[in-house]
Amino acid sequence: MDASRPSVAASRGTVTVIAVEHLTKIYGAGKHALSALADITFTVQEGQFITIVGPSGCGKSTLLQVLAGLLPPSQGRVSIDGAVLSGPCPDKIGVMFQDAWLLPWKTAIENVEFPLMLRRIPRPERRSRAMPLLHLVGLGSFAERYPDELSGGMRQRVAIARCLVQQPKVLLMDEPFAALDEQTRTRMGSELLQIWEKTGGTVVFVTHGLTEAIYLADEVFVMSARPGRIIRRLRIDLPRPRTFDMIGTDAFGRLRNEIWDLIADGHA
Amino acid sequence: MTGWLIRLGPFLFLAFVAFFWEVASRLGLTDPRLLPPFSGVVSVMIGLLHDQRFRGDLVTTLTEIAAAFAIVGPLGLAAGFFLGENRAAYRMLSPLLHLLLSIPKSIFLPIFIFAFGIGFTQKVIFAVTLAFFIVALNGIAAARSVPPGLVTAARSFGAGHLQIYLWIYLPAMEALIIEGLRMGLIFTITGVLLAEMYGSAHGIGRQIFAWGEMFRLPELFACVLLVVVVTVSLNEVLRIVEDVSRSRRRGF
Repeated sequence: MDASRPSVAASRGTVTVIAVEHLTKIYGAGKHALSALADITFTVQEGQFITIVGPSGCGKSTLLQVLAGLLPPSQGRVSIDGAVLSGPCPDKIGVMFQDAWLLPWKTAIENVEFPLMLRRIPRPERRSRAMPLLHLVGLGSFAERYPDELSGGMRQRVAIARCLVQQPKVLLMDEPFAALDEQTRTRMGSELLQIWEKTGGTVVFVTHGLTEAIYLADEVFVMSARPGRIIRRLRIDLPRPRTFDMIGTDAFGRLRNEIWDLIADGHA
Repeated sequence: MTGWLIRLGPFLFLAFVAFFWEVASRLGLTDPRLLPPFSGVVSVMIGLLHDQRFRGDLVTTLTEIAAAFAIVGPLGLAAGFFLGENRAAYRMLSPLLHLLLSIPKSIFLPIFIFAFGIGFTQKVIFAVTLAFFIVALNGIAAARSVPPGLVTAARSFGAGHLQIYLWIYLPAMEALIIEGLRMGLIFTITGVLLAEMYGSAHGIGRQIFAWGEMFRLPELFACVLLVVVVTVSLNEVLRIVEDVSRSRRRGF
């Protein structure tokens, strides 16, 4: 997400950033083994916005956690930016969860600085990198507030800023707006798109909302019921920037029905 | 303003008790041989504090308390943290812990005397035994109060084990750790005094017991008052630390 990287826009869609090969994830062993992901293979090109949908319990979150290096794959491998992943990789990957998970005892700005603090970057540099991002997510005047003084939507904005502060190439988002109310969720979605268009980078976004999935994505990955496989990749050719009135169009409705049918079939 | 009133509440209560004690005794509402006036007890207490032998007893008791607390604080918290973090160990040992917590430890005092004599060691071991379970249970609660999501998020930012303990666990557990130590201190003091009262050659507890036996009520009350003052002060200090920590570490 480095703004000074000139090749981002030019290379969008041509350079492979995420490569997943024959990824399988099994929880437990023996009789109690639970197969969560089965032989998943795909690639994501730089600058793409991917959303992943599927029936609940299909392993969407597991897939994202493996991509984040937070869970080791049982078989197969994940490469990010050409290197095989063996654990969390904060300089390449930023992760967001359903809950913002801000440190309650730190202010908004200190939370954004936290990943930099872990890397022992001196305070002045931390501040000068974190502050513009807090402004970017519209919380410049809330820097000194504590998480319990912020709304749910604001906390997720801080979490977005905290993800961006390490300038990752890939943003992995696990239903980040699912806990928010409908209005806030919709607004956060379009703000995320604006931020993404400004900063570039690649996004993989897990959601159970089909409208959200289509509205945000270049491509929607549809997963089957457990063990999760990717059963379809659907290109979303709606023009950008996306607008809310697109949601009511026939093209949008057709996509929505198509995905719905895929999920219903995959579940049966 | 209201905050200060609440903070001062316990002291106002003690002041009320002292006031009515004094009045009741002076007006002859109570038998002055059974309940000497508060002011008289205070002056006896000051006299005792100048008494060489009594000061020796005081030092003995305080040393026993300090030694027991220095052992049971870290030991109880470490055991609690281990159990709170280790699911299998918790499932196996927590019923035992609750069982042992519910048994009144004072009934074992005779056995402690058979095993460890009536000296310093026995006082410390008994106080540690009495306080251990409550500190350990607080340690478990502290470890379990750390939200797993915070740890996962920190891992995703590349935090190592040490950094996670330092920047996530410690601040998240701080208030409950201090609370555990406060409870531990109260139980330690109780343990040392109980053991001294039951069988000892030295210490405040023994003096309280002896003066009660000898019907020397001014000294008895002076000693009780001293214990109350010291215990309440120690407790208040830890409560202030706890409050400061709570307001600094918001949301916990």
